[in-house]
Amino acid sequence: MHEQRPAYARCMSCSKTLCQPCATPWEGIWYCAGCLAAKRDANVQRSPAAAWIGVALLSFLFLYLGARVMVWTSALIAGLF
Amino acid sequence: MIRAPLSTTSVLDEAADVVRLAAPWSAVIVLTALPYRFLQAVFFDQLAETGSQASRYGNLLGGTANLIVAAILFAFWGRAVFARACRLAHARGTAPGREAWSVSRAAFASYVLTGSAAFFAGFLTFFTLIGIVVAVMFAGLAIGTMELNERISIVEPFRHITRSARSLAIPAALVFVFFCALVIAFVNLAAAFGLAVWLFTAVAGFDAPHWPALFGFGNRRFALMLLAGALVVVEPFWVAAHVIYVRKAGAQESGDDLRAWFEELRRAS
Repeated sequence: MHEQRPAYARCMSCSKTLCQPCATPWEGIWYCAGCLAAKRDANVQRSPAAAWIGVALLSFLFLYLGARVMVWTSALIAGLF
Repeated sequence: MIRAPLSTTSVLDEAADVVRLAAPWSAVIVLTALPYRFLQAVFFDQLAETGSQASRYGNLLGGTANLIVAAILFAFWGRAVFARACRLAHARGTAPGREAWSVSRAAFASYVLTGSAAFFAGFLTFFTLIGIVVAVMFAGLAIGTMELNERISIVEPFRHITRSARSLAIPAALVFVFFCALVIAFVNLAAAFGLAVWLFTAVAGFDAPHWPALFGFGNRRFALMLLAGALVVVEPFWVAAHVIYVRKAGAQESGDDLRAWFEELRRAS
């Protein structure tokens, strides 16, 4: 943004080099003003319900199958001895 | 905290520092892991008890497996809180405060998804040695990348993991190091119990004739509990090491490590 000023940090989102007044740390990571604003908007926006349902269902499926496979595999191994 | 270029030793060094800073938060991960590890020990005890007849005790083993699934969710939450505490400690160089409790819902849900996938994959590939190693690596990267998930998504958490696993050398080295650490923790716990039993039997007037039999390797349940205890002891370091690895790998990719280094040089001059 301020090309005449020396670079002080790099934005972790867009990799743009930033001068000292333009660089803003958020939770220990440097961002430019644009990316920080986009980040704030993303945080304000609610995540889609479909994604939440999808993640919950897939997690449940993995856990359910994991428990069943745990029993089958273990019983199979125990049967070998 | 001294920050060095990305390597297995630098990850382990910084992880030890971070665990020291986040020491009170280790209680969270230990307490939440206890029911999970205890139930795992119970499951393998039941399996050994039923032996070759195990396939006839599907209901018994299935019931314990269901309890393990319930306990794993609680353990996931403990790991998530500790991983956040480690991340905050690493970023600030000071002990994290109460903000470590506030794990974002999207990050935790993403970790439940990837952690469940690792749990499933681990038992699916139980027969193959390489499959278990890959599942352990995947589980480590799942907790390491948890906080990179700012929004809920089915694909993004897996993308973060594959991005972090581009150089497999360090995650593979971490699996080997933590396997050695597990053996050492197991031996130390066994020695500590042996010493305690020996001391109690040496106390005049304190008769404990059954103790050597109970706290010996002849007792299968004792051996399983020791293994569970060793896993609980090693877990905080394993989580911290993966959080540091993901942070350092990301910093190297973005040039943030150079910025931190210049900042340290500027401060020193």
